[in-house]
Amino acid sequence: MRISVMSQMQQRSFSIDLPSLVPLQLPSRRETHLWYILPDEVKSTSLLNRYSQLLSPNERDRVDQMRGDELKKNALLARTLVRTTIARYQTNNAVDPGSLMFKKNMYGKPEVDWQNCKDCNKQPLHFNISHTGSLIACGVTVHAPIGIDVEDKERKIKHDVLTFAKRFYTADEVNFLATKPDQEAQRKEFIKLWTLKEAYVKALGKGFSASPFNTFTIQSTPGTEGGYSLCKTSELTANPMEETEKYNGGWKFTLLELADSHYAAVCIEDDEVNEGGPMKVIVRRTIPLVEDQLISERIFL
Amino acid sequence: MASLSTNSLSFRAPSIQSSRFSQVLRKPSSFQAISFGSFQSLKSLRLQISCAAKPETVQKVSDIVKEQLALSADTALTAESKFSALGADSLDTVEIVMALEEKFNISVEETDAQNITTIQEAADLIEDLVQKKPAA
Repeated sequence: MRISVMSQMQQRSFSIDLPSLVPLQLPSRRETHLWYILPDEVKSTSLLNRYSQLLSPNERDRVDQMRGDELKKNALLARTLVRTTIARYQTNNAVDPGSLMFKKNMYGKPEVDWQNCKDCNKQPLHFNISHTGSLIACGVTVHAPIGIDVEDKERKIKHDVLTFAKRFYTADEVNFLATKPDQEAQRKEFIKLWTLKEAYVKALGKGFSASPFNTFTIQSTPGTEGGYSLCKTSELTANPMEETEKYNGGWKFTLLELADSHYAAVCIEDDEVNEGGPMKVIVRRTIPLVEDQLISERIFL
Repeated sequence: MASLSTNSLSFRAPSIQSSRFSQVLRKPSSFQAISFGSFQSLKSLRLQISCAAKPETVQKVSDIVKEQLALSADTALTAESKFSALGADSLDTVEIVMALEEKFNISVEETDAQNITTIQEAADLIEDLVQKKPAA
């Protein structure tokens, strides 16, 4: 369901000075906000230059390190998306997105560094980004660690999918893939699982070593569309299928499609207040400093 | 045929660790100039020893990376080239590692696979694993 919103919130024109960013209401505890940019829609050099001014010197350096114009542009858009989105959730004052500071947790997961940002009020915001060559996404929640991963639906796997899965996924997941009728169906499900597993590891924020892909199974939740659940397999069992510890405690998963071209997996930590409750995901497409478009609001049980 | 001695593996060069120590011991005069903490001075002795992997390994890794990431043949890659700077995401990295496993007939732990960030690191890991392979 596509809803275009040309609401009073929008300022379509941008002036010579940096326009104030249109503020946003914080997500509620049960909501995830998912923002995405389609790089092909951002062509204006002056707009890209403006984005560049928002980045820290370190971020600009990292953008410059990318090999090739397209990769540079996407790296620039990714940092711009994070900075402008988070700045807009500052409900009290207009915050210059360039003044946000970021740090990494001890495992390397990026976080907002509220203490070092002058004029910021600390918000209990969590965010995570993911990008492919043709789509850049940022997920935002309040109070709940979040991980997201996006992949092009058409992404080709160079290796045989089942061989790949046997190497990296759990036995249950391999069996699931093996039930698919043809290679194309297997490839699609493999990609979906990859995004879900990546989203989980990123939500955990402890690096890949803490949760190798073959130590947990993700499967679709019967009776839901796009709902998934997590089962941790004990590493010690010889037969994971028999001794799977059903441990869904704490993590909610959803899988969506964005722009008809990408799978997007979102994983958030269930809080005690909302445990087991539905998860609402609000998806918006954006061009920072230019426009927003509400794409969908969906409830996942 | 091959089972009893580690020398039976067909390395193209002596294993790096043993050659480092044996070559150093044979040159006592230059030994004084070397501190074990700094290997830069070793290069001036023109020995085929260093902490880094062989150029051929680096080249093979570069070829596989180019193929996986669909880079043009004339893309200049160096040992320091970072996978992420070339546009590789984690799925690409894992596919690259699988291709390297096939090419070099080694087996990489998943956690090692996810931690590779440059061509140099991939090449070093490969050589480390090739060296550690048990006799066939």
